[in-house]
Amino acid sequence: MNHPTHISPPSHDNAALVQDAVARHQAPLLRYAARLLGGDADLAQDVVQDTFVRLMAQPPAQVDGHVAEWLYTVCRNRALDVLRKEGRVRRFEEGQVERLTAAGPLPGRSIERAEQQASVLRLIDRLPPNQQEVIRLKFQSGFSYKEISRITSLSVGNVGFLIHTAVNRLRREMAAMPE
Amino acid sequence: MNPNKIFPDDPRLTAYALGEMETAERSEFEQSIAGDADAQQAVVEIRRAGRALEDALATEAVPELVVPAAGAKLNREFNRKVTTFPHWLVGLAAAACFAVVFTYTQVEQANRPLVVQPSQPGANEGAGQAGTRLVEVQLLPEKDAATEGKELMKTEARAQARTALVDEASARIAAKAAAAAPVPSQPYDFSTTAAGSVQGSALAAAGNSGAVMLEQFSVTGNHTAMPALRAAPGSGGRGDLSLGRMEAAARARHHIHRPEESVRPDARQNFNTEAYAFAKDNDFLRVKGNELSTFSIDVDTAAYANVRRFLAAHSRPPRDAVRIEELVNYFPYQYSPPAGAVPFAASLEVAGAPWKPGHRLVRIGLKGREVSDAARPAANLVFLIDVSGSMRTENKLPLVKQSLRMLVEKLRADDRVAIAVYAGASGLALPSTPAARKAEILAAIDQLEAGGSTNGAAGIHLAYDVAKANFLTGGVNRVILATDGDFNVGVTSEGELTRLIEEKAGSGVFLSVLGFGMGNYKDATLERLADKGNGNYAYIDTEKEARKALVEQAGGTLVTIAKDVKIQVEFNPAVVQAYRLIGYENRLLAKEDFNNDKVDAGEIGAGHTVTALYEVVPVGVPMPETGGEVDPLKYQRTENREQRTAERSQQGKSTEMLTVKVRYKEPAGDVSSKLEFPLVDGGRAFAEASADFKFAAAVASFGMILRESPHKGLTDFAQVATWAREGTGADAGGYRSEFLGLVAQAKAAWGE
Repeated sequence: MNHPTHISPPSHDNAALVQDAVARHQAPLLRYAARLLGGDADLAQDVVQDTFVRLMAQPPAQVDGHVAEWLYTVCRNRALDVLRKEGRVRRFEEGQVERLTAAGPLPGRSIERAEQQASVLRLIDRLPPNQQEVIRLKFQSGFSYKEISRITSLSVGNVGFLIHTAVNRLRREMAAMPE
Repeated sequence: MNPNKIFPDDPRLTAYALGEMETAERSEFEQSIAGDADAQQAVVEIRRAGRALEDALATEAVPELVVPAAGAKLNREFNRKVTTFPHWLVGLAAAACFAVVFTYTQVEQANRPLVVQPSQPGANEGAGQAGTRLVEVQLLPEKDAATEGKELMKTEARAQARTALVDEASARIAAKAAAAAPVPSQPYDFSTTAAGSVQGSALAAAGNSGAVMLEQFSVTGNHTAMPALRAAPGSGGRGDLSLGRMEAAARARHHIHRPEESVRPDARQNFNTEAYAFAKDNDFLRVKGNELSTFSIDVDTAAYANVRRFLAAHSRPPRDAVRIEELVNYFPYQYSPPAGAVPFAASLEVAGAPWKPGHRLVRIGLKGREVSDAARPAANLVFLIDVSGSMRTENKLPLVKQSLRMLVEKLRADDRVAIAVYAGASGLALPSTPAARKAEILAAIDQLEAGGSTNGAAGIHLAYDVAKANFLTGGVNRVILATDGDFNVGVTSEGELTRLIEEKAGSGVFLSVLGFGMGNYKDATLERLADKGNGNYAYIDTEKEARKALVEQAGGTLVTIAKDVKIQVEFNPAVVQAYRLIGYENRLLAKEDFNNDKVDAGEIGAGHTVTALYEVVPVGVPMPETGGEVDPLKYQRTENREQRTAERSQQGKSTEMLTVKVRYKEPAGDVSSKLEFPLVDGGRAFAEASADFKFAAAVASFGMILRESPHKGLTDFAQVATWAREGTGADAGGYRSEFLGLVAQAKAAWGE
């Protein structure tokens, strides 16, 4: 991993790009980072802020068109760095990810639907962490296989296999859920 | 057996189902499963599962950070500068970022080597140098670190590290700010302008450097443990780098004060985040030089209900919460309704001022045309309801729901209702529904639940969009906002919020604001919203008040009969020496504004009464202190004026005390019309005045005592009660008796 020895000052065209990126991606990135870091929201904040600072230093031409992917990649790498440094990499692989408290049911939804969704989230939580990560990147952050492959440094085939396996399992489990 | 049979464990099934295949591969695969019912079924199910996963994952929350409860006392004297924006927080932000020196090696979070260039406060930075300029930040020992322990130090270190990452622009500002900011080793004085001078630059800096995170730190010297401030980014789903300091500060404030929601009733200087705009009582003005008095009418009643809420808790209301015009206007008066086509009629009365012998009291009343429920135009209503976490308490969302149920019961079949909510996300809890389907509407109201933080701006956009989409030409189109005023995500800068509402008001959709709750009740914000939104503002503290605002005065709340209503009074210097407008301090207009249709003013609803009181010093009575004499003008020919006065007296107008002019526009109109009403002083004593007059005077006097007005004259709660009793009259609704109860309570509590 290349650690830059200094961060160059941001250029002017960058500001709009960064602002837009923050507006769009800060919340989902926080969610993503918190997952990777075992639920540590505080640490996630650090990592995400760091990610955006790095974005500020990027010449816009380099990131334009795939800002989200860039952000997730950098964020993921930062998170892994942090975990490695703090000796918590094993935690990430153990699958004992702390459950984030969900907000109350969105207005207008019936109780049953909210409960169903909560059950689905629990099912997702029981997946092995590598499957969980790609499931979230696909269905929560909306990335394509190719983008996920670049973010996670897995091959596209690998990503496809993980998602297929996870979806199959979740399909079966959701079908078995009481309606 | 099909050699190309796709087996269920083939990952290509999922790739295809989720649209991950390129064109060529996709058509090839489609051919492979052409006759394969199982495979096709699998594809359908995979897609369905995918949607379910998306739905479920969308509800997963962004981690919100819990802030340890804090007990810092805010000195309410600085309300003056604070209003809804705590400047001291910005000062702290500045101090934390720039004035505190940081020992780099203590950073535990040193993820990467960074070039640290020590920056001297006040050093000039050349333009365009490479490398991030870092401000050295020192870790201050935490006074209460024992309780938090190592964890706190760690988070502090991280915070300092975070704040140390500043980009070039803000670092430049930082250096300047550092020169101006107070060093935290001195007692932190909120009132110093040093904090003020740091503001401007710190604001920009905080904005540029991203979400400013401040952890608990001690200001040595006055032993104040500052509450941990944290701007939780993105909790409303919007980035906040662009919103910077206001949002950070406002949100941080929200997070601090969440645990402190209940108001401690004993101390006047409470730790709460209620916000009232400061207003200085109107002084006496000499007629010479101030012949014209101009103001916008106001039918809001919130201040009375709010004051009542304080008194019920045996607490003295803050001075700035007492807007006298809203106290007086809370009560219905028996002014004669208008005849003919005009939207309102004026009722003028003058008698002795009971608290100042020799002074006269002028009561200007306007009565709006009544519109019966059956006769009013059809209504297109959008309820915009704050369902954030802070609305959870008994006196908030449950009361909102009750209030809305009452209003819905009063609607006609051709009215429409929609319910929009805002919290962490905003959404439509009920699309625009004809009021004939009452059960659906009531069911939607029942299902409202509190939770999340508040993104008021998104909710406002949604509500107005829905209102516009169902716009009834010639009808009543109104957004009814129910909240405790605590917008703390999205647009929180008051300027931005009011500009947003102003813009929305131009669409022809009016706004009613219903305030609820206490502790973080944002009176000033809500009043301004209603003002800018062409609407009215009421504070709902009880079911009874809900009934008054939404049932008894539904006509007034819903149907606007005149907008941009302005009053200009011209006093006759031959009769009047000086005058004082009681209340309406934040409604004053420049005299040129009266005839300027572009200047916004208040709205009158059907059946509403508006009352304004002037205390007048007639000619021949000793003048109160009014400020300095004005030099006679050098370049104006004064003989002309004397001539004109003489002319007028010959025409018999010199006995008029004043003339009231009223300008108003039709609800959908842009051009104003004017009405004029002269008044002659018959010399009546206070005892001979009408019941309504006496009661209004009593209420005004009560307000002046609570405001500790320098002009309250000879009065106390006992006197107020006497005058009020003389003016109780028929008292439909029992509101006047209730007022007497409040006065008795105040007298018992503070015996003035």
